[in-house]
Amino acid sequence: MTGFFTFLKYLAIALWSAFVVTPFLWALTTSFKTANGITGGPTYLPWLQYEPSLNGWKSLFGAGGGIDIVAPYIDSLIVTGSASLISIVLGTLAAYGLSRFTYRAGFVKNEDLIFFFISQRIMPPIVLAIPFFLMLKWLDLLDSKLGLILVYVALLLPIAVWIMVDFFNNVPRQIDEMAMLDGCTPIEAFLRVVLPNSLPGIIVAGMFCLIFGWNDFFFAFTLTFTDTQLLPVAVVALNSSVTPWWSLSASALISVAPLLLVAFVVERFLSRGNLAGAIR
Amino acid sequence: MGETGLRPYKLAFLLPGLLTLLAIILFPLLFTVRVSASGWDAVTPELSWVGGRNYAALWADIRFWQSLARLGGMAVGTVLIQYVLGFALALLVWHDVKARRLFRLLFLIPMMTTPVIMSVIWRTIFHESLGPANDLLGLIGLGPYQWLTSGGWAVVSVMIVEIWQWTPFMFLLLLAGLISLPREPFLAASIDGAGPLRTFFNVTFPLMATVSIGAVMIRLIEASKLMETVYVLTSGGPGTATETSGYYIYIKGLRDFDIGYAASLSMTYLVIMIVLLTLVGKLLHRALVGGRA
Amino acid sequence: MSLQLNDLSLRVDAVVHLDGVSARFERGRLTTVIGRTLAGKTTLMRGIAGLQRLDRGALQLDGRNFSALPAWRRDIAMVYQQFINYPHLNVFENVAFPLRRKGLSDAAIGKRVRGVLDKVGLGGFDARRPAQLSGGQQQRVALARALAREAGILMLDEPLVNLDYKLREQLRGEFRSLLADQTDTIVLYNTTEPAEAMLLGDAVLVMHEGRILQAGTPPDVFDRPAFMQVAAVVNDPPMNFIQGRKQAHGIELTGGVRIGLPAHLSRLATGDYWFGIRASELRFGSNCLNGRVTFSEVSGSETFLYVDTVAGALTAQVEGVHIHALGDSVSIDIPADRLFAFEIGGSCCLVGAPATGAQA
Repeated sequence: MTGFFTFLKYLAIALWSAFVVTPFLWALTTSFKTANGITGGPTYLPWLQYEPSLNGWKSLFGAGGGIDIVAPYIDSLIVTGSASLISIVLGTLAAYGLSRFTYRAGFVKNEDLIFFFISQRIMPPIVLAIPFFLMLKWLDLLDSKLGLILVYVALLLPIAVWIMVDFFNNVPRQIDEMAMLDGCTPIEAFLRVVLPNSLPGIIVAGMFCLIFGWNDFFFAFTLTFTDTQLLPVAVVALNSSVTPWWSLSASALISVAPLLLVAFVVERFLSRGNLAGAIR
Repeated sequence: MGETGLRPYKLAFLLPGLLTLLAIILFPLLFTVRVSASGWDAVTPELSWVGGRNYAALWADIRFWQSLARLGGMAVGTVLIQYVLGFALALLVWHDVKARRLFRLLFLIPMMTTPVIMSVIWRTIFHESLGPANDLLGLIGLGPYQWLTSGGWAVVSVMIVEIWQWTPFMFLLLLAGLISLPREPFLAASIDGAGPLRTFFNVTFPLMATVSIGAVMIRLIEASKLMETVYVLTSGGPGTATETSGYYIYIKGLRDFDIGYAASLSMTYLVIMIVLLTLVGKLLHRALVGGRA
Repeated sequence: MSLQLNDLSLRVDAVVHLDGVSARFERGRLTTVIGRTLAGKTTLMRGIAGLQRLDRGALQLDGRNFSALPAWRRDIAMVYQQFINYPHLNVFENVAFPLRRKGLSDAAIGKRVRGVLDKVGLGGFDARRPAQLSGGQQQRVALARALAREAGILMLDEPLVNLDYKLREQLRGEFRSLLADQTDTIVLYNTTEPAEAMLLGDAVLVMHEGRILQAGTPPDVFDRPAFMQVAAVVNDPPMNFIQGRKQAHGIELTGGVRIGLPAHLSRLATGDYWFGIRASELRFGSNCLNGRVTFSEVSGSETFLYVDTVAGALTAQVEGVHIHALGDSVSIDIPADRLFAFEIGGSCCLVGAPATGAQA
């Protein structure tokens, strides 16, 4: 009987794996096609069903009326990296405060502050898009990396706070106290003692900030046009019937590739058991 | 912790983040409230004052309420399926599976990808004549289906994409939860002779209550913003078949430039979401955990 | 150098953690603070350390008030009951941590740290991490760090409570000599165990429900417990208490048991009292009290018997190994000359104690 269950188990895993991999495989094979490989109906195997060519990939670098993928890549890296860094620094500080100290301003307490941070994620992008547009316009930061970084910080800071508060709650408070008795001010205690023991949490928070930042479409879409263009916007702009599928597929694949690295890191943390504290 | 001389430090930790967030969010939020009471549209692009006129119009706007219902159905549907699938997957690769770390990595990948970009690929997959969906299903005698051109199927297509994209997120949270569970209850259960099903319902599932609620709530919050997939895959269509509230507000605000009205829609949408999500959160907590949140 | 506490009080919601605690501690003396859990011992230490804000009260060192000083500017070292060390530092750096904060030179630090590590029996453990050490070793590291600081005040909050029995006994002996060395320091030591308090302390402070019930030397507190609660806390097993009435020529205990009037209680006014007798001073006899054994526990070379009698449930600690089945009848003797007497009602203060110098 157990043999049968094991078979089912591996079958289920195989089925879902196939489902996961399908879009990537399809995009991969399509990226090597030319018109012949598409117009007659879907084809899958190179050389057997269609003649492979590098047109799709070459177009990424501007050849043959394609798009330039390099500039959006760099813009995405700069914007996402900076916003994540700022969010983690500010968010970790705030999370430490919320974890260790008691705040009270009128009737607002720690839990309310934490709820305030987390509730920012409920905000549908649309609610903020127009005012952000006007605000950036007024600050002359429309279509700029700096403007987008500001906006992304507002989106990513709650994530950093969310993850780090939980993490800090799992670091025994007595370590901070011991550090203070040993002569550290609260800031020194944080920097010298708590932080070195919080690296897993910071890395996880960093990963999530990177993921959510890199993958944003809506704000980049409404707030940038020509000077700054992020990857998701660049790729979606191709989503018209004019752009050939092979260019589309190539640019899509190359755009999502970097985050596979993040997947590696997250899996390592998961399997090592570090995530238990950070996610709850 | 003790409060002697801590005050300046307490503020030093909290304020930079809090003030930054407030600075960036507060103005837009207040501005949206003000704009919602104005008649700003394509014809008169200025901050006039029309009181509650936009809100009154909103009440009668069937299209808005339908979009909410549609959104509710899709969000709840996808989150439930993601939960069941995610839990099943987490259980599958928890113990005793060859190459389980490889599978864990594989299962994580979709959530790391850019949703809109993957939607671009899915759009080619769901193409009725040139895409592999109908082709492959045809091989086993199913279909062809009008993935993007028929109302019902369009909803299904959007849901499939969402499920592909976000089940890994549930999977991640739930697997992390499973890995951190203590071993003793399971040892006790196996000593008592409980089979896998009994063990699941009596030990695993109850122990995972808090994690489950957290995961479901996070996904619900994110799913309630469903808009980008719709934008790329179906543009809200056919007709309004896949038009979620987010998409509708986008149309009104950034395509028709009916900014005042869109602002009032936004505020209503925000309030409804906050109320509903808080309620659902409390209900779930009471149902699975009991007592106060 | 002396530490003076004046009227320290703390109340959170409806719970009184500290109630007007005043005390004075001298340099070079080790004071053990004994009390049940939640008696306020830990709160007291945290208040002195600056980790807990108090509602009112003053703290003075050599006459200078330091209540306003933040914790990191007070010269206080503490050892917690949970083995608190810095997980990311090795043993050497753990002990050196406070010394680096003070700005000592590397040479001075090296010398002091190695000296202290040798003293606590961890010589050569420099490069290990706390996670690689056993509980006892981790606690030694914590102690080493506290000692290395040569702070003016050293506080230990039930440091041995999370260790197993044998280790506790062993470390208790080591602590005694280690702490006796601290001739320049004011040492406070929290414990719930009378044996520790009596063994280690030059002075004992008995706390109960946030108040200090009695302060004195171990013999003082042991032989003349000022209140019933003190007698209960300071004896292990706790002292047996039986209500009774002192009459002209005898004492009648609950249940009608009569015993003779001892000399030390002869001048008590006639009336009702709580009479106390230590578990170790109950004897097997034939003329006093009959009862049934409800529980029996052999521990080392002694037997603890829990007996139900007409005078109430009593605990007896008897030399030797005696096997009794549940429900067995036994006869207990209450030696009248070992009786304590406490007032009934009010604060249950001591009104009569047996002569000192007698057994156990």
